[in-house]
Amino acid sequence: MSATTTEPRRGHSLKRRLLASMAAGFMLLLLLISVLLWNYARAASNRTYDLLLAGAALSVLERVSYNSDGPTVDLPQSAMDILALAADDRITYRVFSPGYGEITGTPDLPVPDDLRPSAEPVFYDAKLDEGFRFILQGRQLTSASGREWVFVQIGQTLGARKAQRDTLFLYGITGLGGVSLIGLAFVWLAIRTSLAPLGAIADTLLARRPRDLSPIEGDPPQEISDLFRAINSFIAQLGRSRALTESFIADVAHQTRTSLSALQGQLALAVDAEDPERMRGRLGKAEQQAERTVHLTNQLLANAMVIHRSDDARLEPVDLRKLVRDTLAELLRERRLRAATISLEETGLPGGTAPIRGDAISIREALRNLIDNAVRHGGPDNTIVIELGGDDSAIRLTVSDAGPGIAPADRGLATERFTSINRKTAGSGLGLAIVRSVAEGHGARLELGSSALGGLRATIAFPRLLALLLTCLTVVAGPRGAAAEELTIWASTDRVAMAPLISAFEARTPGLTVAYREFQTVDLHRALLDVAPGEAPDLAISSAMDLQVDLVNRGLARRLRIPEPLQPPGWAQWRSELFGFTFEPAAILFNRDLLSRDELPTSHRDLSSFIRDRENELRGKIGGYDLRRSGIGYLFATQDTIQSVQAQRLTEVLGRANMRSYCCTADMVEATGRGELAMALNVIGSYALNLSVAHDNIGVHFLDDYNLVMSRSAFVPKTAGNPEVAEAFVTFLLSPQGQQLIDRDTVLIPLAPPMEDLSPAAQLLARTTGSFLPIRLGPGLLTFLDEIKRAEFLRSWDATREQQYGP
Amino acid sequence: MRMLLVEDNDELAETILDRLRGEGHSVDRESNGEEANDLLRFSSFDLVLLDINLPGRSGYEVLRSMRSRGDATPVIVLTARSEIDDRVVGLDAGADDYMVKPFDFRELSARCRVLARRRAGASSNVFAAGPFRFDRAAKQAHVDGVLLELRAREVQLLEIMLDNLGRMLTKEEVADKLYTFEETPSLNAVEQLVTRLRRKLGGTPLVIKTARGLGYMAYVSDDD
Repeated sequence: MSATTTEPRRGHSLKRRLLASMAAGFMLLLLLISVLLWNYARAASNRTYDLLLAGAALSVLERVSYNSDGPTVDLPQSAMDILALAADDRITYRVFSPGYGEITGTPDLPVPDDLRPSAEPVFYDAKLDEGFRFILQGRQLTSASGREWVFVQIGQTLGARKAQRDTLFLYGITGLGGVSLIGLAFVWLAIRTSLAPLGAIADTLLARRPRDLSPIEGDPPQEISDLFRAINSFIAQLGRSRALTESFIADVAHQTRTSLSALQGQLALAVDAEDPERMRGRLGKAEQQAERTVHLTNQLLANAMVIHRSDDARLEPVDLRKLVRDTLAELLRERRLRAATISLEETGLPGGTAPIRGDAISIREALRNLIDNAVRHGGPDNTIVIELGGDDSAIRLTVSDAGPGIAPADRGLATERFTSINRKTAGSGLGLAIVRSVAEGHGARLELGSSALGGLRATIAFPRLLALLLTCLTVVAGPRGAAAEELTIWASTDRVAMAPLISAFEARTPGLTVAYREFQTVDLHRALLDVAPGEAPDLAISSAMDLQVDLVNRGLARRLRIPEPLQPPGWAQWRSELFGFTFEPAAILFNRDLLSRDELPTSHRDLSSFIRDRENELRGKIGGYDLRRSGIGYLFATQDTIQSVQAQRLTEVLGRANMRSYCCTADMVEATGRGELAMALNVIGSYALNLSVAHDNIGVHFLDDYNLVMSRSAFVPKTAGNPEVAEAFVTFLLSPQGQQLIDRDTVLIPLAPPMEDLSPAAQLLARTTGSFLPIRLGPGLLTFLDEIKRAEFLRSWDATREQQYGP
Repeated sequence: MRMLLVEDNDELAETILDRLRGEGHSVDRESNGEEANDLLRFSSFDLVLLDINLPGRSGYEVLRSMRSRGDATPVIVLTARSEIDDRVVGLDAGADDYMVKPFDFRELSARCRVLARRRAGASSNVFAAGPFRFDRAAKQAHVDGVLLELRAREVQLLEIMLDNLGRMLTKEEVADKLYTFEETPSLNAVEQLVTRLRRKLGGTPLVIKTARGLGYMAYVSDDD
């Protein structure tokens, strides 16, 4: 056997290993620190955003008062505005009193178990449809019946907290990561310098001649003296192993030559024999000797082959059961096995197969040798039992015979080369050595014992091949498009206005039909709250921004993935769930025959004076939305009260001027066109601008101080049946094509007017000097949806309007 | 029997020729693959002994071209390479048996006889071994001229075993050949049937050997 030289595999670098273990250490440290950092970041972000909750709670508590019915509250806009500082979080709140029950807001929000009336704020987390952080704070009011506790409870989703926590954490961990990297760089340098002596040893070894197996000399550094010793002991081992190989070759030479000499001797004697009987006897012996020599040669070759193959490590998945059956079927054809009773027993093979990693040729050779041994030593009426069994971890191939067996003391020796335990039945002395080599090459054990038949029981225990986990990639989704799909849209927008957009989208999506259902804003809001999960639309579009925000704040909307470049400006989107897609300023519409543009006021303050000054002239000729019936009217009116201190005054003036209220924009525009109205206030600008282009006698006027801007907004309900298509529709609405279509083919005005080919309405808008104030989608819009607040606002609106009719 | 030995080593060829001729066969010898191929094209033999390492054309190629011509003459492949791959390739290529050198001459003779019997039984309708005779056409078996009482199933089993003389058949394979698709083959019934047939064949050189867990193999004990 020749010594083989193998190239060390690349990638097993000591330096890299050291570095890797240092890196692992650093990682562990980083992990520990990051746990601390995480806790800190969470606490810090909670502290920050708890302040928002506290501020909002205080500002609501301040507005809690007592009236004849008991405690009440005038929800301040500032509370919602404070909460809206966490821009993307949903809000829930309630005001309640133990004595009077729920006062306003969402009833039955969770409270801590050990609630004790206290003016101190209590913060806690609770889970509704998602995680919420709550503040609960009380205040004592003095009423006729004594002192009464009123509690304000406000909850906010954890989005902003989590974002803040993540940012803090990320900053911290990035810094630490950087420091760790610098540390590792120093470690690398240190490793390089300290490992330099190893290079010297390598050079010494490289310079050696292959026959030189003397220990290396030198004065190694203290740390690598172990390695030094190990190398030297390895060299010594190599020497011993070479000596063994040499002795094996000598053994082989000896065995073969001896065997051949015996054969030659018998043949020579046969040739020289005078007597034919003696010659026949010699020849018979010569033939037996030849048979032994053949067997010996075969075994020597098999031994070499098995060792060679196990060095090569060419193990492949093999079903041992099939291999054993095939080998036995083949072996049994040989005449020498006919006298023996042979049986195969398969016991407890999980799954009926015996998968192992193995080399079929070597295993066949091992089994052949075991059977050979069993036949050779088994005696005349031999019974050979082959067993194949196993459990989850190992597969055992056992061959038992009915021969004399091997005494326990001799079993270790039996697997050595050129040892035969029984002189009489001795073979080549290689059989069990071959089997052992095969077993070792397979990471298996060869166990020798006594069989139930009285003879030897030899077992090879193979490690079982772990069943490969097949990751089945089942393609669930078939090709789309062929099947008819339906997109259901519920909207508070004229079908006519949306029609060009819908047909363009249908044209882009083959097989799609859009079912469009029209609602009034308030009805749409109610319908979406009441709808059964299976019947929800795929898309909800409304001009009432506050009502849309309310629905989204209740957690009814699905998050959409709108590509970054298509996303509308910040004010026109909330939580990536609600998206505005139009830009519709509130305008003053006037009849050119009755009023001239020059005399019109330029600010909200002037507007009140203007109407008061012309009270008689304009009586019954001013139009406005019916705030009870028009969601958009209510939105504009409430936003005006936030923007302008003149709002209350304007309402009074309008009341005195006998303002007429309309449910819908179209009626109001028509009345203005006919001259029934001299002016209409807070008309949705998109309609107004288009009509002003169509009718000569209608003018559109914007104020200089501010003009509220509304955006029609869309969201996809969580229960939508076809959310992907709905998302595609929203994406289309926001895309340049969609926006251009809105500008060119609909009465609506796009968010971002295209630079060229401006429609007349957009041109007019571009010329207008008015300063536009978009209403922001967000929790700020929730203030005036508060029941008490809304009731109060409408009552005062009614009251001022009833003044002039008088009792 | 008329045999062809294709072997390039003269010494080995000589011993094989002597042995087979001594047993009364008429044996031709070729030492070149190309020439053997030409010879096989025009002459017919009862058995071919084919070495693999041949000058001219390898034994596998000779075998493959025989089989592609539709020549079904039994072939025993002789090889000096003990690694199984070669054997499998040889059997896949259409060899009926193989032997690894150096082989026992008695084993070689026995294998030749088995193949000859298989072939003779199939072609002449009569299988004979010592005192045992089986006539396929009449479906009758005789021992020393005395008719053996065999049931239809037993005759069927006998035919199956004779067709696969010297080959290991699993119990399932026997059942498959024995029963039609409609019948439910019971492995127990196969066992009982084999036992019965073996008892009836007692005293004849035809032996059905059972290897429990593996199957059955029929052989003729006289051949050893």
